[in-house]
Amino acid sequence: MFKTILLASVAVASLFTAADSAFAKGKTIAVSWKTFQEERWKTDEAAIKAVVEAAGDKYISTDAQGSAQKQAADIDSLISQKVDVIMVVAFDSDAILPSIKAINDAGIKAIAYDVQFEDPNALYITFDNVGVGRLMGKTMLASGKKAGNFAFIKGDKGDPNATFLFQGITEVLKPQMDAGKIKVACETFTDGWKPDGAQKEMEQCLTANNNKIDAVISENDGMASGVVAALTAQGLAGQVPVTGQDGDKAALNRVALGTQLVSVWKDSRALGKVAAEAAVALADGTKIDKVKGVTKFANGKNKVEMNAILLTPDPITKANLDDVIKAGWITKAEACAGVKAGTVAACK
Amino acid sequence: MATEGETKPEPARREGLFRTFLNATELDIRILGMVGALLVIWCGFDIYSGIGREGEGTGLLGGFFLTPRNLWTLLVQTTPIAVMTTGMVLVIVMRQIDLSVGSMLSMLAVTGAVVQVFILGPSLGVGHPVIWVAGVVTCLVAGTLVGIFNGVLTAYLQIPAFIVTLGGLIAYSGIAFLLASGVTIAPMDKTFDVFGGGIPESWIGPFWSWMLGAAACALIIYALYNGRQKRRKFKFPLRPMWAEVTLGAIGAVAVLGTTWVVNSYPWPFNLIKQYAEANNVTIPDGVENTDGNAICMSAGDVVRCTDGLIYYTGYAVPVLIALVVGAAMTFLSSRTKFGRYIFAIGGNPEAAELAGINTKWVTVKVFALMGFLVGLSSIIASARLDAATNALGQSNELYVIAAAVIGGTSLAGGVGTVYGAILGALTMQSIQSGMQLLNLPAAFQNIVVGTVLVIAVFVDQLYRRRVK
Repeated sequence: MFKTILLASVAVASLFTAADSAFAKGKTIAVSWKTFQEERWKTDEAAIKAVVEAAGDKYISTDAQGSAQKQAADIDSLISQKVDVIMVVAFDSDAILPSIKAINDAGIKAIAYDVQFEDPNALYITFDNVGVGRLMGKTMLASGKKAGNFAFIKGDKGDPNATFLFQGITEVLKPQMDAGKIKVACETFTDGWKPDGAQKEMEQCLTANNNKIDAVISENDGMASGVVAALTAQGLAGQVPVTGQDGDKAALNRVALGTQLVSVWKDSRALGKVAAEAAVALADGTKIDKVKGVTKFANGKNKVEMNAILLTPDPITKANLDDVIKAGWITKAEACAGVKAGTVAACK
Repeated sequence: MATEGETKPEPARREGLFRTFLNATELDIRILGMVGALLVIWCGFDIYSGIGREGEGTGLLGGFFLTPRNLWTLLVQTTPIAVMTTGMVLVIVMRQIDLSVGSMLSMLAVTGAVVQVFILGPSLGVGHPVIWVAGVVTCLVAGTLVGIFNGVLTAYLQIPAFIVTLGGLIAYSGIAFLLASGVTIAPMDKTFDVFGGGIPESWIGPFWSWMLGAAACALIIYALYNGRQKRRKFKFPLRPMWAEVTLGAIGAVAVLGTTWVVNSYPWPFNLIKQYAEANNVTIPDGVENTDGNAICMSAGDVVRCTDGLIYYTGYAVPVLIALVVGAAMTFLSSRTKFGRYIFAIGGNPEAAELAGINTKWVTVKVFALMGFLVGLSSIIASARLDAATNALGQSNELYVIAAAVIGGTSLAGGVGTVYGAILGALTMQSIQSGMQLLNLPAAFQNIVVGTVLVIAVFVDQLYRRRVK
């Protein structure tokens, strides 16, 4: 139900952009997806397709089904179909590089969508993951927790995003840490971002510190559910602020209930829309560094400087819970389940 | 299992005594070794976690590990793996393997959550008693059915269990993802959460804990007496009386000691406060003491004190479930015809078949039992987290198999005990929890757990070769 609403709203939004780029009709925008196993990519695709088709261009796509080899073959076939722009969600950001070179050689524009590959000719479009970490830190400080024992529940050690996030978090908290006000009570990676793993880590962290934990920085909402379960068992849920990201429905409900401080929300529809607009502009012949919102980014693994569009995510707290409800991301009933009347403005 | 080591010629008389003790009590030296290793690990962690923080830790040796709180948590943390590993022992004894238990747990937990949160919650109203019953029944029935499916493919279509369950490992996690459409499903029904041990309603309290402890002691004594009578009846050699008494005493001390530990863990401060406020319990006046675990009124405020209102947790429901499962599975594997068949098949499948055992049907039953236990475990895991996601339980199969193997189950089949596997699960969880308590990096934890697995099997092999 809400999907149709969001599709409609994206379509309406894209009508305006369509007017700007009306002369780009008849171009072909291709997307090479790494997998459709995860629900979210379908949301992205709907947003991209809507913008591209509203601009009078053609959308085609391939699904690499989680295989680097298949993705290379997919891209070969897209090149031979003489498309104008290829957006790539890389399955493997190193193995993809020869394919990107082939795209460049064929005179086609390449966009790295959400997953970075380091090619100076390509445009990189993603949410600013370091920025998500910064927002977690900032929201925590803004809530009044500027000192005390902090627990850091990080994501999987093999996922570069876990490190990007932590980089942003420490960047914000560093002055307080250096001043000796914030103490790192526990800091640990969590295999596979697993919530039950995070729960055990939090239980042991509370035991080791005799419950003297003042704040928990959890790097996503799934792990935050484990953290909150561990806090609940000690009667501390709601008293110790917990961060998260992804805008999980269960997490937004916890935000309303007060057991989670913030869920940093990355609206993949916004990402899809911006990427599609950039693709349409590139197909139309706009120079890569002239695309709206482009900045330089050189923070990847090999520090290659690329043109990039970094979207700012939205920290959802009790105060702006209404944003996600209005955007149709979650219904009011889902967000406000079990909330006492009159405690949260968005639930009135 | 780590105690035997090289033979030392010096204490010949003492070793003789020890041998006599082992022969008379018929205790398994490997289990004794494992208990010894476990105690060493526990003490080591307690000492280590206390270093540099003198006066803070309340553990037996000055740290944070040997405290009622940590041991209580350790028991709860072990339960999902422990319950599954009792079934895995039988699967492995029968020369099969089940790699799908982790993904199956995700799938069942998500199915149970969908039934509770998406289907029944909105139609019956949140908190309706049918909801938790339906959640429990769904997990158990679906688990058994998936187990039967695995078993039929293995036994009747003769696809190797390794392949069937490897397929399951991949496919079931996909089903879990689709059912949950990738999101976390929460919160679960409040009554359902009693199975998780995270809320006061799932702690049975000291009185019932002592009662159960006493009942368990009575059961041990009865079992010893009954065993002796049977041996006498069938003219089997009897254990000397002192050995019987020693066995009874060891059992009773273990049961009562565990009960004492869980009865010494007080409710967290905030929960006592919330409970007192919700139930209009008068909080006595007292002097504030920040080290105390009780609550008192002092100058109009609720404060910590040593002499005031206090509750103790006692056993948590999931731990009781695991203990009952452990006892039932031990009985099943060692005292029933079904159990003997499993070991017979594991020892020599052809001979078992020729002896008239319907090996295929037994195989299906064992996989069904495994599925049922995964269902039970999925209930505990999702109730404990108060949520279900497709990430819950992933890669648990490795820990379940490792626990069984550390506990002395032979991958060659025919050998293994349920209590050994439970001890194996407890050992692994102890190592993990201990390292988390010390805040060691996750990568380091993986290295240690992997190493322990290999060393445990190596020591076991050494022992077996020596016995031969």
